[in-house]
Amino acid sequence: MAVEMEVADGQCRLRPFSCELGLLSRPDGSAAFLQGDTSVLAGLYGPAEAKISKELPDRAALEVLLRPKVGLPGVLERSREQLLRQTCEAVLLGVLHPRTAISLVLQVLSDAGSLLSCCLNAACMALLDAGLPLAALFCGVTYALQPDGAILLDPTARQEQEARAVLTFAIASSDRKVLMATTKGSCSVEEMQQCLAAAQRAASTIFQFYRDSVRRRYSKN
Amino acid sequence: MAAMAMERGTAAEALVGQVVLPGDLLLLPAHYDEDAEGERLRLSAGTAPQGRLLCGPGLRRSGAGLLVTKCGLLRHRPGGGGAYWVDSQQKRYVPVKGDHVIGIVTAKAGDVFRLDVGGSEPASLSYLAFEGATKRNRPNVQVGDLIYGQFVVANKDMEPEMVCIDSSGKSSGMGIIGQDGFLFKVSLGLIRKLLAPKCEIIQELSQLYPFELVLGMNGRIWVKAKTVQQTLIIVNILEACEYMTAEQRKQALAKLSGN
Amino acid sequence: MAAAFKTVEPLEYYRRFLKENCRPDGRELGEFRTTTVNIGSITTADGSALVKLGNTTVICGVKAELAPPAVDSANKGYIVPNVELPSLCAERFRSGPPGEEAQAASQFIADVIENSQMIVKEDLCIANGKLAWVLYCDIICLDYDGNLLDASVFALLAALKNVQLPLVTINEETGLSEVNLKQKNPLIIRKHPVATSFAIFDDTLLIVDPTAEEEDLATGTVTIVTDEEGRLCSVHKPGGSPLTGAKLQDCITRAITRHKEVKKLIDKVIKSITPK
Repeated sequence: MAVEMEVADGQCRLRPFSCELGLLSRPDGSAAFLQGDTSVLAGLYGPAEAKISKELPDRAALEVLLRPKVGLPGVLERSREQLLRQTCEAVLLGVLHPRTAISLVLQVLSDAGSLLSCCLNAACMALLDAGLPLAALFCGVTYALQPDGAILLDPTARQEQEARAVLTFAIASSDRKVLMATTKGSCSVEEMQQCLAAAQRAASTIFQFYRDSVRRRYSKN
Repeated sequence: MAAMAMERGTAAEALVGQVVLPGDLLLLPAHYDEDAEGERLRLSAGTAPQGRLLCGPGLRRSGAGLLVTKCGLLRHRPGGGGAYWVDSQQKRYVPVKGDHVIGIVTAKAGDVFRLDVGGSEPASLSYLAFEGATKRNRPNVQVGDLIYGQFVVANKDMEPEMVCIDSSGKSSGMGIIGQDGFLFKVSLGLIRKLLAPKCEIIQELSQLYPFELVLGMNGRIWVKAKTVQQTLIIVNILEACEYMTAEQRKQALAKLSGN
Repeated sequence: MAAAFKTVEPLEYYRRFLKENCRPDGRELGEFRTTTVNIGSITTADGSALVKLGNTTVICGVKAELAPPAVDSANKGYIVPNVELPSLCAERFRSGPPGEEAQAASQFIADVIENSQMIVKEDLCIANGKLAWVLYCDIICLDYDGNLLDASVFALLAALKNVQLPLVTINEETGLSEVNLKQKNPLIIRKHPVATSFAIFDDTLLIVDPTAEEEDLATGTVTIVTDEEGRLCSVHKPGGSPLTGAKLQDCITRAITRHKEVKKLIDKVIKSITPK
């Protein structure tokens, strides 16, 4: 179910994407997402029975766990879990499943740059695969601002290191609005807006990729 | 079909049988006719009989049209006001009123049994909800038994409740599933396919040899044939159906009946 | 009557106020709560500050220690920020290991320090490969009434401005370090990052400096950190309601004005405590 894609977006290109849906047998939804050499595996359980302490009376309790490639999750993972959770919560129609728990586990398989956007994409595909009710889709896009001022889409780990600033956005499929934004390094306001506009353009390509991946999965029956 | 076109909305008819994703907006004929009158939507122009359009699983009404909330194939059933729904491949079952499911008894709590049906919380089943059951004449249900029953209460805010009798008090096939046999799980999509009227798979299988089969909407299947070997053959074929085309399945079955 | 309405329908209660462009506490949508800062509140720390944003109270203490620098960055010192949300500051925090919110806040503060380059780590090095300063910046929330990040960043900045490091020299003959406590130098602060947080109401309305109550009812938050040149040190939007680029621009514009207010306040306070 892997789909290869390489798209020109101005001078910026996304690395080849590939995605496999439903590859794990135990979780209710699973997805492996590859962006170049960065890959993340996501497994989703739910809506399942919630622990009394975590149960919410009006909506589903979403829990996101991010497991690094080596070692135990630390403060960075915790803060990314928060970003991912609140991004998923914004599109998930949790009110349709009150008093239940949904847990999303993301395992980093390899980090070769743009890890957070790959995590976002894997999370969205896992939500899709599990068939949970969503109001919209979201995708992750990372941009690196190079010292010479050029912007680079979907940077590799090396390009991220050399960059002056790295910006990651989560773009919603409805009206291309910004669901999540986080930056590393400093940039001017114009540069940020330039990256955001470019991210909104790149999102169309990624959503089309989502559609193709799902279509392939459903073409089997 | 470009992604951008999807956001503005596409005519629902054009997408029937195709993959839709959450966030897609489906326009109904009544809208481009500028003829919507509240909930009543006209599906064909002119004086065709009007009915209420049914908005099935995976779709929500949103102002002008229908908003997709689940990914899957868009389906349509004409007649009456018509019905649209999304056929998605889910694994997790969410109880729906009227569904027939297979539950496993996990506890006896006073007058009710607790059943695991694969949903987010256990379903309850009263001991009186069996054919011929009275306060004196309790059904013999043990923890671990399999029960085939129907949901009478299933909504997001309440504990689901099952019964093993229909509205006239008859069992009509529901109740405790007998000893032996084999229980296994498949995806919810496959169950729906198997339960469709005139399902080819079941018809083809029934020509092999006689067997008993119970299909629960919660993705559970119970099979029993004359021997364990025969039971397992059926299990394997049904499990493989998920990944086989009709052609491949016919070949596999031909091989089996040849032996 | 109003109290009952507020308890039963808190969201509707807020909407009625927001429709009139004001908030239940009398503020306008773009108005901050009264900000007060007290520098040098902890005499035993090398630098400290207490910041109050309305009821939100945050204290930051900086402790400087000496340590050999890491092998791979021999000319750099360390800055170790930590945000604590003790069970004292609000009901929902439990004692024990730091929760998700505290950890996320710690990471945010670390990111702000790194992104803004407010302190260049090379400045903390005393002798290349041998000795460097470690600055432990402990930020403790004493009273949690929303907008923790703004108060924390402000407290950190004020505390770092207050840091006086003794002169340390390395005796060439013995190789030991000598600390001259009589001669103290302030830390070089290169940039002054200031955070401005917004809460998003009903997917459209932006209100600045949300209280805890407003944060609970809001559908999302955004935090913008700018420096004195108007550059963005951080745009932090952890999920929540989607925003357009134009709305984000509004936030940035407000953040730049806020920076000026805070800078003025901090300069005034510093001036008042320096002996003439």
